[in-house]
Amino acid sequence: MIRTSLAAAGLLLGLLGSGMPAPARAADAVSVAALHFVSSAPIFIAKDKGYFAAEGLDVEIKFFDAAQPIAVAVAAGDADFGITGLTAGFYNLAAKGVLKIIAAQSREEPGYDFVAYIVSNKAWDAGFRSVTQYPGKSVGITQVGSTFHYNMGMLAEKLGFPLSAVALKPLQSIPNVVAALKGNQVDSVLLPNNIALGLVAQHAGHIIGYVWQETPWQLGALFTSAKNVAKRRDLVQRFVRAYQKACADYAAAFLQRDASGKRVFGAKADALIPIIQKYVQPRPSRAQVLASVSYIDPKARLEVGDIYRQVAWYQKMGMVDRSAKTATMLDLGFIPHQLDMPRQ
Amino acid sequence: MPEPVPTRPQAAPPEGEARQRVLFRAGGFEPSAGRIAPWIAFAFILAGWQAASSSGILPALFMPSPAAVAAALWNQVTSGTLLMNIGYSVERIVWGWLIGSSLGLLLGFAMGMFSLARSVGLPIVSALFPVPKIALLPLLILWFGIGEPSKIAVIALGVFFPYIISTYTAVDGVPRNLIRMALSFGVPTGAIVRKIVLPGAMPGILAGFRITTSIALILLVAAEMIGARYGIGAFILAAGNLMQTDQLVAGVALLSILGLIIAFILGYLERWLLRWR
Repeated sequence: MIRTSLAAAGLLLGLLGSGMPAPARAADAVSVAALHFVSSAPIFIAKDKGYFAAEGLDVEIKFFDAAQPIAVAVAAGDADFGITGLTAGFYNLAAKGVLKIIAAQSREEPGYDFVAYIVSNKAWDAGFRSVTQYPGKSVGITQVGSTFHYNMGMLAEKLGFPLSAVALKPLQSIPNVVAALKGNQVDSVLLPNNIALGLVAQHAGHIIGYVWQETPWQLGALFTSAKNVAKRRDLVQRFVRAYQKACADYAAAFLQRDASGKRVFGAKADALIPIIQKYVQPRPSRAQVLASVSYIDPKARLEVGDIYRQVAWYQKMGMVDRSAKTATMLDLGFIPHQLDMPRQ
Repeated sequence: MPEPVPTRPQAAPPEGEARQRVLFRAGGFEPSAGRIAPWIAFAFILAGWQAASSSGILPALFMPSPAAVAAALWNQVTSGTLLMNIGYSVERIVWGWLIGSSLGLLLGFAMGMFSLARSVGLPIVSALFPVPKIALLPLLILWFGIGEPSKIAVIALGVFFPYIISTYTAVDGVPRNLIRMALSFGVPTGAIVRKIVLPGAMPGILAGFRITTSIALILLVAAEMIGARYGIGAFILAAGNLMQTDQLVAGVALLSILGLIIAFILGYLERWLLRWR
C-alpha cells in the first residue's frame, strides 16, 4: 500500500518536476518460490548481496517443501519465479502453456558429486557393488516422475536394460526413502550427496557411485509464468541478470578445482557459506554445505538439448502428455549462448 | 384381569354446528431420503461443471472437465488397470479394517464393561488417537517393511482408535435401568451381556462401522504412499506427482464410488442387525 502510494507520488513528481532531480524509482515487488535447499543458493546470494535490489527488484522468497507446489504456485500466479528440479509433473504443467524455463539451476556435471546411488547394507553384503547390477534389484524413489525416477531411466538406457527390470518403489518422501534403506526394505535408493554421506556415516548404506559418472544431465531450472514472459519482459530480464551475477559468485566460490581435478574451497566459499546457512533449513554445517554444492552453470546457461531429451523420455514412458511441445516450454531469449542448442 | 376403565361420557357435538376439523400438528421433523432427488441434483452439478469447463470459466489448468475425468476413467478400464487397482485397494481396506475394528471392538467393549480396562485404556487411547498416522510412515516402514503389512497396518491403526471410542461409548450408553432390572431378576451375567448390553450397544457400534470405513478409505492414500505399484491411492498419488489432474479427479471419484458402495452395504447390515427395533 505504502509502496504503491510512493510509486504514485514518484510518478506525480516525475510529471511535475521538470526542474527537480529525478526521484529514485520504487523497486518492483516480485516473489520467487524455492526449496530450503542449497541448490537454490544463487537466489539466496542475489538477495543477500543486493543484486536484486541493484536491478530495482524487491524480491520475496517463498519457501516450499516439495518441487511440485513450486511449479503450481508459479502457474497459479502466487509466485513470479520458481526454481527447482525438473520433473514429469513440471513438464505436464508447462505443457499447458503456463510456464517458461528461462535459466539453469543444478546440473549433473562430471566431477561434481550431487545425486548418489546408495545400496543398503544387506544388498552390499550380498555383493551389490556396481550400477551394472541394478537389473533385478528394488529401488526406493520419492515419486513417480521425479528426478530420481528419471535418473534410473537414463541409467537403464545407458546400460541397455529395460527399466521394468528394476522394481521402483515410490515412497513419496525423502524420510520414507531413508527409512526403507535403513530397514533393508529396498536394495538401493538415490539421494542427494549430503543425505548420502550422512547415511554412510551412520553405517546405514554404501555409496556405489554418482549420477554424473553415468548420465550427466540438466537437473533443475529457473522458470517463470508465460504471462510474465509476455507482459513483463524487462522485469524478467532484470531478475535473470541478478541471478546470473549470483551464479558467477557461486561458481567462483564452490566450483573451483585444482590441477588434479580435486575440488577446492577457499576464502570466497567461506564468504558465501553464512548466506547459505541463513536460508537453508535445517541449518547445515559447513561440511554439509560443501557436500551439497552442486554444479550450476556460471552464466546460468541451460543444456537445452537435454530438456528436449527429458520430455521425449517422459513422453515415451507415458508420464508426460504426447501432445506436449518442448519448444513452447522454453524462452531462451534472456540468456545469450545457451548450451547444447538443438538444431532447428 | 384388569378392571375396565370407565370411559368419560362424551360430550355430544352441539346441534346444528359443523364439527370443526383440527389440523394434525405433529407433522414435520421426519426427514426421509428420496430416491430420485439425489440423482437429479447430481446431474445438475455435473451439467453445471461441464458447462463451466466448456465455456472456459473453469480453466482446465485448475479443474479438469467431467468429460476429461470420464475419459481418464475409461482409459483405466480399457487398459485393464482399473480392476487391478480396485482389487489391491479393497484387499488392503478389508484386512486393515477387519484387524483394526475387531481389536477396537474387543478393547472398546472391555473399556465399557470393566473398571480396570477403562481406567487404564481411556488415557492411553486419548493420547494415541490424535497421532497422525502419516507422520508414523517412516517408523511403520522400519517395523513392517514396504510390502502389504505396513499398508494394512496404516489402515488398521487409523480404524482401531475411533472404533475403541465408539464401542466404549455405545456400551457405556446402554440404559442402566434395563441392566439393573435384569440384575434384580437374577439374570446371569453372560445373558445380560448377550441380551441387553450387546443389542443395546449395537446402534452405536454400527455407527462406528460407518465412521471407521470412511476413515479406512481416507487412509488408503496414506497407506499406498509406501511403495505401492497398484491401488486407487497409488493411482491418485502418481497422478498428483505427474500433475495429471484429470486422472487425479478420476481416482478421487473412484474412492467416492467405493465409499458409496460400502455405505450401501452397511445400510443393509444395519437394517438386518437392528430388525428387532
